[in-house]
Amino acid sequence: MIRNLKIFWLYSTFSAKTAFQHRVGVISFLSGKMIRFLFSLLFIFFLVSKTKLFVGYSLNQTLIFFLTFNFIDSAAQLLFREVYRFRPLVITGELDGVLLKPFHPFLRVLVGGVDVLDAITLIPFFALLIYFILRIPSLTIQNILLYGGFLINGICLAAAFHIIILSIGVLTTEVDNITLIYRDFTKMLSLPIDMYKEPLRSFLMFGIPVGIMIALPSKLLFGLLTPNVFITSIIISAVFILFSLYFWNTALTKYQSVGS
Amino acid sequence: MITAKNLTKIYKTYHKTGNIITDLFQRQYKDKKALDNISFDITEDELVGFIGPNGAGKTTTMKILSGILYPTSGLVEVLRFTPSEKEYAFLKQIAFVMGHKNQLLWELPAMDSFKLNKEIYEIDDRTFKNTVNELIELLQAEKLINQPVKTLSLGQRMRMELIASLLHKPKILFLDEPTIGLDIFAQTTIINFIKEYQKRYNSTIMLTSHYMQDVQRLAKRLIMINHGRIIFDGLLQDLVAKYSQQKMVHITLLKPLPKDFETPEEIKCEYNFPQLRINTQKEHIAGILSYMLKKVEFTDVTIEDEPIEEIIKKIFTSSQNTVSPPK
Repeated sequence: MIRNLKIFWLYSTFSAKTAFQHRVGVISFLSGKMIRFLFSLLFIFFLVSKTKLFVGYSLNQTLIFFLTFNFIDSAAQLLFREVYRFRPLVITGELDGVLLKPFHPFLRVLVGGVDVLDAITLIPFFALLIYFILRIPSLTIQNILLYGGFLINGICLAAAFHIIILSIGVLTTEVDNITLIYRDFTKMLSLPIDMYKEPLRSFLMFGIPVGIMIALPSKLLFGLLTPNVFITSIIISAVFILFSLYFWNTALTKYQSVGS
Repeated sequence: MITAKNLTKIYKTYHKTGNIITDLFQRQYKDKKALDNISFDITEDELVGFIGPNGAGKTTTMKILSGILYPTSGLVEVLRFTPSEKEYAFLKQIAFVMGHKNQLLWELPAMDSFKLNKEIYEIDDRTFKNTVNELIELLQAEKLINQPVKTLSLGQRMRMELIASLLHKPKILFLDEPTIGLDIFAQTTIINFIKEYQKRYNSTIMLTSHYMQDVQRLAKRLIMINHGRIIFDGLLQDLVAKYSQQKMVHITLLKPLPKDFETPEEIKCEYNFPQLRINTQKEHIAGILSYMLKKVEFTDVTIEDEPIEEIIKKIFTSSQNTVSPPK
């Protein structure tokens, strides 16, 4: 475990070193991301401050949905940025070098490129999130703990999604479009899931399950979840994570590498 | 140390029909047999040259032996491990250097990759320092380790790749075209290094190269593979003795050839005054030389074995004619 953490730390340090070599890239990435975030935040603010309620949620609650999405999305990008660079690794055959190393390949292909720039954007998201959570009138410790627990669950589900993307990459070399589809689905959850009608809502919640990943923590925080949905969500999360690991192991047995 | 028994590898490849609809909805796949029931053993300390034309199955074999690929059928045992299980204890004892692939951190100095490998292979500080210094000295690479990898030439990068791969002193080293694309100086450096490294550490090395001179200088034993089948497995000298029936006679003439100079049809001559090259069967050498002494005036004569490339080419050509490619 300590060895894995050391390797993770080294990969993260080298990734940060590499990122900061491109100063223009750093500035454009950070400003692009913050501008996009501010525009979306203002849009929600103006929309819900006029209507007072959005699909039954107050402005404060809608902003928590939005910030929770941003937090999980950025945390996933922070941790799993290397997945976005996976395709070149497969098509050049350099994945071979990773598979030959005496460590779990996820240390390199999943979390081997921690994006320090996303860590910078995570700070304002987190600060705003705490600010709006503290403004909830009937806030309980239990709900906060459940919210925190399901944020972690959301990041685990994001890891599972990224493992599935890696597995598809191993089998088909297709990574970029699958990633875009995944991101489009998660983006649908930047606003409360209740805005979608059935069966789309259930599909997003349990079918894919981006709903459990992004919408569920906020619902738990507002005390809006029934025990049945809660237990089902835990089971689905566990099954989904196990499936992603099984899929990865299967994909490796089918890996064909590239010719010399 | 390495055992492969009835090893077969079949790749599934997408077969284009040319019809867009069929290709999209009823995609057809073909099985391509990359390895066809091959068997061999490699013992400790051996340096084996693994040669064959492009697509013969050399790299596939090495990738199966190192655990990158799963075999379709057959038995593989390396250091008493099954490579595809990728046990860390096994992976810590092998290294695979691919001449055409980069395994270093591209934007950072090679030293960073070495430090990473230090943690991955759990090398203690002292051993790491000593090994790095030793390898740097052997490869004359002191000035290169702190330069970003992307700024290194191919030859320099290959030296860094070798250091990174050998830090943990692997028992088995797979070298896949380590000199590909290198100039003659870089090639010589790498070849000399491999020779010295094997002598020092008694590693088992499996080497593929398209440059026969590399293989000739390093390997005593050759495994030749074509269309996924082994067509020769034995000592290089036995190969030459068995297949080289030809000798090359190089003569530097003092005067042009006389008009009545003629050689039998089966003897191939290349004449470009003052050079005369004669390619002949071993048993004709004595006759040719006595004929030359009578007929021409010359300043120099050398008799050489047929170049190893020619012998290998002949074997592959004859194997192509006799062995049909596996379906």
